[in-house]
Amino acid sequence: VNDPHRGRGAATFSAGHDPARDDAGLLRRIGQGDDDAMAAFYAEHGRVVFAQVLLVTGERSLTEEIVQDTMLAVWRGADAFRGASSVRSWVIAIARRQTRDRLRGRRLRVVDDTYLADQPDSGPGPEAMALDRAELAEVMGAIRQLALAHREVLGLAFGSGLSLSEVAGVLELPVGTVKTRLTAARTALNGILEQKGQNR
Amino acid sequence: MNADHTDTRDAHLDLEDLIAGAAGQPVVGRAREHLAGCGECQREASRWNLVADGVSGLADAAPPASQPARPRRTGRPGLSRPWRRALLVTGSVAAALVLLVGGGELAGVVHVHVGQGGGGTDLTAVTGCSQLQQAGGTLEQIHGSSLVIKTASGRPVTVTTTATTFVSQSGNLLGQLTDGASVRVRGPRSGGAIQAALVTIGQPFSAVNPEGPAPVQGTVADASQTGFTLVTPRGARERVTTSGDTLVVVAHARLGQLQAGTAIFALGQAGPDGTLAARAVAAISQPPSGKHLRVSVRDCSTSSIEAAIGRISVAPVSAG
Repeated sequence: VNDPHRGRGAATFSAGHDPARDDAGLLRRIGQGDDDAMAAFYAEHGRVVFAQVLLVTGERSLTEEIVQDTMLAVWRGADAFRGASSVRSWVIAIARRQTRDRLRGRRLRVVDDTYLADQPDSGPGPEAMALDRAELAEVMGAIRQLALAHREVLGLAFGSGLSLSEVAGVLELPVGTVKTRLTAARTALNGILEQKGQNR
Repeated sequence: MNADHTDTRDAHLDLEDLIAGAAGQPVVGRAREHLAGCGECQREASRWNLVADGVSGLADAAPPASQPARPRRTGRPGLSRPWRRALLVTGSVAAALVLLVGGGELAGVVHVHVGQGGGGTDLTAVTGCSQLQQAGGTLEQIHGSSLVIKTASGRPVTVTTTATTFVSQSGNLLGQLTDGASVRVRGPRSGGAIQAALVTIGQPFSAVNPEGPAPVQGTVADASQTGFTLVTPRGARERVTTSGDTLVVVAHARLGQLQAGTAIFALGQAGPDGTLAARAVAAISQPPSGKHLRVSVRDCSTSSIEAAIGRISVAPVSAG
């Protein structure tokens, strides 16, 4: 269950493919200056990192710059990987730091909406009904309207192939707080969908 | 699972179970048994699944388009060359498949047509995107990040790839269906099982969406030579049978997975000495026999190119 490469958005490639071992091997080769390994690393993780950063920033060109900087950081820092986390969560954490730095430079808030992001779920109610009626396209549109912290936690939980504990590691939060934030994100999503339903 | 609720004999699924299930991980054991009989948990799982699908849909809708993060500067010696490298290797076998790219007459749509005969030069212009060339033929050799295609003319074309080159692989690749693989299965149901006509492994790309039964998404378990058990995000288990007619598409393959002798198609920019710097590559081990493929692309975007590659990948079951 905790294999980060088994979830949605993570490709399983071939018989005998061991993502953890392959990733560690790739990083070793990257640390030795093997640019083919860097290319393989990008093929393995680039798409997921891009999607996560784009979900947070909402800007494609900025996302491309951040992913570029993230991969440069991987190239330079591959030697520093000690295996304390999965490679996927390691690279996503790097991307998150790069994103935070870029958005901070643009005077945009990144993590200071924590209070609002972690407001507890109000429980089952009309909001849940809105989600029950929603079409996928509506949900996608509503996710775009969520607060940054909510988009971020949903992307990590459902788009990055990370376990909940790995999401907590990337966000530097307790697992319980991640659960609270996820629930709050869904509540906010329901609220947006409900509002859209009332405006129809 | 959490503490008992007053109106249920078993504990409801906790948030971690629901999140894991929505993220595509199998729900097992008592949680699966409870889910099968608990309407409240099924509704909760369905809501989380929809949220997860929304996140995945956003990711699928915006694939990375630009050149990858090529290291721009480094203190480490030896990275003077780019990731893209051209290696010229001669080939030997005549290409069995000719792939022609035609005009993008319908905005937003990519078509693959199968026709008789045809032929072409080693690199052919792509209508609808003046920056693109295409090459098709038989894969002769892979060397690092480059591969050599033997075209219909009998001449080899070297195709170089980078980290962002989109590579797909399709064929009767049943060996790729291993336990834990995330898949989408399409096929008719018979005798309580899905007879798999098309199985997509990994993140699907938009064009792998042929006419026919809706796909069922899940994770492979109990894989054998005759099929596997598909465990859906909601924890349901469905038997899937496979055969020699089952087309397996690896949506995001590695070059190293491709087999020499496979029919192959590449789209990219022409380089010096007749090489092709590929933006996308499709390897097809079951090409439509005696035919050539004609592809229409919408524009030069990555999504259009990936859509074209997707159509080519499923041509054995969808082109006609």
